[in-house]
Amino acid sequence: MDKTKIKTLADLVRLSAEEFGDKAYIKEKAGTEIVEYSHAKLYSDARKIAYYIKSVYEGEKVHAAIIGPSSSMYLAAYFGTIVGGNVTVPLDAQLQAEDITDLVNRADVNLFFYDTRYAAMIPHLKENCPQVKAFVALHEAEGAEITIAEITEKFSKAEPVEIDPSSLASIVYTSGTTGKAKGVMLSHGNLIDNVNCADDESDSEQVLLSVLPIHHVYCWTCDFLLSLRYGTTICINDSMMRIAMNLKLFQPTMMLVVPMIAQTLYKQIMNAATAKQLPPQAVAQAVFGGRLRCIYSGGAYLAPEIQKGYLDLGIPICQGYGMTECSPRISTANYNNVSTAGDVGEVVKGCTVEIRDGEIVVKSPSVMQGYYKYPEATAEALDADGWLHTGDLGYVENNRIFITGRKKNLIILSNGENVSPEELENKFATVDLVSEILVYAEDGFVTAEILPNRDLCPDLDAAANKLKEIIKEINLTLPSSKTIRRLRLREVEFDKTTSKKIKRQQSIQGEIV
Amino acid sequence: MFEQIKELILNYVDVDADTITEESRFIEDLGFTSYDFMSMLGEVEETFGVQVEEEAVLTLSTIGDAIKYFESLK
Repeated sequence: MDKTKIKTLADLVRLSAEEFGDKAYIKEKAGTEIVEYSHAKLYSDARKIAYYIKSVYEGEKVHAAIIGPSSSMYLAAYFGTIVGGNVTVPLDAQLQAEDITDLVNRADVNLFFYDTRYAAMIPHLKENCPQVKAFVALHEAEGAEITIAEITEKFSKAEPVEIDPSSLASIVYTSGTTGKAKGVMLSHGNLIDNVNCADDESDSEQVLLSVLPIHHVYCWTCDFLLSLRYGTTICINDSMMRIAMNLKLFQPTMMLVVPMIAQTLYKQIMNAATAKQLPPQAVAQAVFGGRLRCIYSGGAYLAPEIQKGYLDLGIPICQGYGMTECSPRISTANYNNVSTAGDVGEVVKGCTVEIRDGEIVVKSPSVMQGYYKYPEATAEALDADGWLHTGDLGYVENNRIFITGRKKNLIILSNGENVSPEELENKFATVDLVSEILVYAEDGFVTAEILPNRDLCPDLDAAANKLKEIIKEINLTLPSSKTIRRLRLREVEFDKTTSKKIKRQQSIQGEIV
Repeated sequence: MFEQIKELILNYVDVDADTITEESRFIEDLGFTSYDFMSMLGEVEETFGVQVEEEAVLTLSTIGDAIKYFESLK
C-alpha cells in the first residue's frame, strides 16, 4: 500500500479494502469453526454502521465507547464510528461497572457498543449515564436494543466524509500504576504517523496471532492498524488460557507479546526440553506451530537473557518502547538485526528523542493532542514547545534507547542520592528464586520486597537465606549508595493493574528477614 | 480425574508429586503464577474436551475446587 496516501484511519480502512478486498483480515473462532472476515467486509460494515450513527444522532458529534475482547464486530464498531468522522473510546474489559460509568461520563460518551458478556452492566450504565442515547450489542444478546448484525442488514452504506487528519480519532485511557486514568486524545494524524513511522519488513503472507487486549494502543496500532496497511491476516486468540492451543491451530508467523508471556513460554519450552530430553529448538518449533519468524515484545522490561535465549531457539524477539501518549511507538527493533545489548530498539522515523535531566523527552507527529478535559495533567506531560515528557529515565546510544527507570518512582535518599527502583528490580529478572519483586525506600533504607518461587524453595527460612546471599552478590555490582539494605519476604502475589504491572502504591505485606 | 490433573500440574510447577492433595491451593501451595494457571486450564480443555469459562476461573482456589468445576462441565 502506498503509505503516502494514508492520512486518516478512514483512508487506511478504505485503501485496505481496495487493495486486499476479500482476503481474510480476521480469523476467529465461532463455536467449533474458524470464520474469516475480509478487508472488504470490514469497510462495507463500517459504512453501514456510520449510516446508522448518522441517522440516530443527526449530525451530533458522537463519542462511542467500545468494550469487549478482540473480534470482527469490535473492529466494525470501531471503524463504523471512525468513517463517519466520530470518536472512539476503547474501554478496558476487565473494569467493573462503576469504573466504566466514570470513564464513560468523563469522556462524554453518547453511544455504547458492548460485547454480549458485558450485557449485565447495561442497566447500571443506563441509570448512571443518561447522555448515552444508544446501546449496541456487538453480537446477539438477550434484551439488546439493536445489534451490529441488525444494523448491517437494515442500513445502507454511508458516503465517505471528509476527515481532517488533525481531528480527534480516539480517547484512550491509560491504566497507569498510580492515580486516576487519563483520557489520551489521539488524532487521525497521530495514529497514522505511527502506522507509517517504521519501514517494518512485512508482507501480506504474514499471519499474526493477536493475544493482547485490544483497548491498549500497543495492540491496536501494531496488531490491527499495521495489518490493515500490510494485508496481514490476524488470528484472534480467544483466551489467555488457549495461547498454546491457538499457536498450534493458526501457526502464526509473528506475534506481539508482553514480557510476562515471553518469559512463561520460554520457561515452558525449556522445562519440556529437559523433561523429554529433546533439543529446545525442536520443542520451540512444536510449541509455536512451526512457522513463527519473530516475536515483538513491549509494555514492560524484557531481560536481555530471555532475548538471548529466544535467539538460541531460532526465534528473534524484538523489543520496542512506547507509550499511549505517543500512539505508541517511540523505538522499535528489526527482527533481522536483534540487539541483545539491553536496549529497547531504534528511535522510529519522524521521532526526535532528547534526554533532559535524565528523562526521555520526545517530539513526534505521533504525540497526543493532550488529556481529555484534564489541562493540568496535559501541562505536566507536554511542554510549551510540544515535547512529551515520558517520565522514563534513560539514555540514547547510536540512536538506540536504553531505559533505566521511571522518574516518579525515583527513590531520593536522605543523602541526596537518587535510586531507580526498576534498575534494581531488573537485576533480579533472571533470578529464578524471585517470582516478583518491588523495591522502595523504607525508613531511609533501600528495601526489596520479594515473593519467592516456592517451587524452587518451599521453606521460607531457606529462601530468605538464599535471597540474602543473592542480594549480597548483586550489591557488589552496585555503588554503595544504591545497595539493598533490607529484605522483606511475602507469601502472596503483589496487587497488579489490569495490564499485569505491579502497583507501586500498595500496602507492605512481607516480613523483614 | 485427580491423577490426570496432578500430571498436568507437574508440567508447570516443580513440586514433589506425593505432596499434592485435593486441598492443595494452586497459587499459595503449588506456586503457580496467574499465567501458568491460565495455560494449564487450556491444557485441561484439550485433555478433557471441555470449555472452561474465564469468569469461573477466579473461583478456583484448590485442586478440589477445580475437579468439581471440570466435572460439572462434562
